[in-house]
Amino acid sequence: MEAKTGAPLIHLGLLEEALNLARANSLWPMTFGLACCAIEMMAAGAARFDLDRFGAGVFRPSPRQSDLMIVAGTISKKMAPAVVRLYEQMPAPKWVIAMGNCAISGGPFYYENQYAIVPGADLIIPVDVYVPGCPPRPEGLIEGILKLEEKITKRGRLRKFRDVAR
Amino acid sequence: MITSGIEEKTFVLNLGPQHPSTHGVLRVLLEMDGEYIASAEPVIGYGHRAHEHMAENRNYHQFLPNMGRVDYLHALAFNHGYCMAVEKLIGVTVPERAEFIRVITNELNRITSHLLWFGAYLMDLGAFTPFLYCFDDREHILDLLDRITGSRLTYCFYRFGGVPVDLDEDFIFGCRAFIKRLRSRWVDYHNLVTKNVIFIHRAKGVGIFSKEQCLLYGITGPSLRGSGIPYDIRKSEPYSAYPLFDFKIPTGANGDIFDRYLVRLEEMEQSCRIIEQALDKLPNGPIMAEKVPKRIKPAAGEVYQAVETARGEFGIYIVSQGDIKPYRIKLRVPSFANLSLMVESFKDNLVADVVAILGSIDVVIPEIDR
Amino acid sequence: MLLDSIPKALAPLNLEKVDPGDYSKTGCHLEVAATPAQMPAVAEALLQEGCFLESLTAVDTSKAAFTLVYHFANFSELCRTVVHASLAKDTEAPTISHVYPGANWYEREVYDLFGIKFAGHPNLKRLLLPEDATIHPLRKEFPAEAEVKAEAPK
Repeated sequence: MEAKTGAPLIHLGLLEEALNLARANSLWPMTFGLACCAIEMMAAGAARFDLDRFGAGVFRPSPRQSDLMIVAGTISKKMAPAVVRLYEQMPAPKWVIAMGNCAISGGPFYYENQYAIVPGADLIIPVDVYVPGCPPRPEGLIEGILKLEEKITKRGRLRKFRDVAR
Repeated sequence: MITSGIEEKTFVLNLGPQHPSTHGVLRVLLEMDGEYIASAEPVIGYGHRAHEHMAENRNYHQFLPNMGRVDYLHALAFNHGYCMAVEKLIGVTVPERAEFIRVITNELNRITSHLLWFGAYLMDLGAFTPFLYCFDDREHILDLLDRITGSRLTYCFYRFGGVPVDLDEDFIFGCRAFIKRLRSRWVDYHNLVTKNVIFIHRAKGVGIFSKEQCLLYGITGPSLRGSGIPYDIRKSEPYSAYPLFDFKIPTGANGDIFDRYLVRLEEMEQSCRIIEQALDKLPNGPIMAEKVPKRIKPAAGEVYQAVETARGEFGIYIVSQGDIKPYRIKLRVPSFANLSLMVESFKDNLVADVVAILGSIDVVIPEIDR
Repeated sequence: MLLDSIPKALAPLNLEKVDPGDYSKTGCHLEVAATPAQMPAVAEALLQEGCFLESLTAVDTSKAAFTLVYHFANFSELCRTVVHASLAKDTEAPTISHVYPGANWYEREVYDLFGIKFAGHPNLKRLLLPEDATIHPLRKEFPAEAEVKAEAPK
């Protein structure tokens, strides 16, 4: 995170760990469904797969209020400036999950004469977690969010509470 | 106190491309006169993925997965249309059991598409509960379809000449149990939404499409049937096993949002009827045609095949010049025509109604942008 | 019967070809060939018969010409009419959007993907590609190399 959003000016020690825990457990995603993967993102937020139990169920329409951008779908060249603008509008600390093969590398639409898409979200914005699949199952997206939480707290899923309490 | 001398002008409000209720990446430039829309100009193409260009660079088999991604909510109908068009070109007849399997899976997919529309549309209008109810129902269907097709959303299940996997006893039993459960849900949906005063006020008399407009713009699907024209390709131009089943075409009287909503709910019930009849009459037999060439190299010619999807008529036009790759494939998608009329209908409406009308057409933007 | 009344309505226009089609092979009941200049009159005649415009597209047929392909169908009776109009490259075709407003977007799409201009179209701008794009991708001479990496847009 520090490499992408700049090293923090003040190191707060244990408070930072607590802050990271808070950030990881209440990620607010932005509703950014571009194509088919958006439906699986909605299914992940719905009743059976329930993103809300991880604290990540509050999808905010506005980038100013969100800290996680789930790029779900193919980025076309026409849409790319909008993606970059939305990323820049999000306040730091912010993270990006590239969901689906299209956001990772262009997916099934990448071929030699392709003129219309950007083959991968990481060509235009920094991506933290890649969730493969076409579309990935909602469980896959949940695994991606949990991996992001591990990345934010810099510790494994099960140990994080025990270590902070020590 | 507004003093005199202030000039009132229109201003342009940009809706999208990132917006919770644009159902994909649609941008509409609304020129507003206060709260009223003076004119609306849509900007599409944010989801353009070059399907038609890909078709010229792939052979017929390789293009099959694309069809699931054009309209991912009713992917099996697109698969169906493409497979039928190619089967016409190469002259292959699909065996009866395969036709029945195609119809059953197609109708299940139609129900998932309408359920998702129901949930997402009411979420646009501000109601969060139906979204959770219908996604739950949808998950049951996706479990059934996942068992035999292998996918949850972007299906690539039909092959030229039939289907690759047969239905098993668990699927048939699960299907019947699910239909029984879904029928008990209609009561909930009607109590929760149809009789809801807020919904009625937002939907009745709003977004009216006249029959004349529908003819001039080429509207098809529930948006057309809501205006009173009973045109459904499954009845008007029957294909596959549909002539064997008895089902009604629901229509509305006024062409407003409320009629389109009722048409879709009723269509789900009719789909249940079709599935039940298909399961009852399911014949035994092979699921793939016998002589399907491994390399699909149709003779030179063209074909146009229309199928009824959840949004309207999907037409695929294939021009072949005797090669293993198609020369040109045109995908005529229902949301393209529906969206072009809808934007005309925004004029002189309140901006709050724009979202209501936009959702009631049930557009899927990646299918418009292809 | 539309299969009879449509050829009768098109007879005064002296079109090149108005023949019944093989529905089981091609999906169309009537096959019509016209010149692009006759298209507005053809569209008027078909609108009088109550047909709607199902699809409007183009095919890059040869080095010298495009073929504009129009499909018309009817809500009350099953009768699909396909109209082929051969258009020499670098010439304009007349629009039918004053007859069928639905053709507005179809013609914009054909302009976008093929570069075919429609004379009299109220708003002939690109529809699917970005407004400042310079390519017409569905032409057969569209170059093989395409840029793989996108530069970060400003």
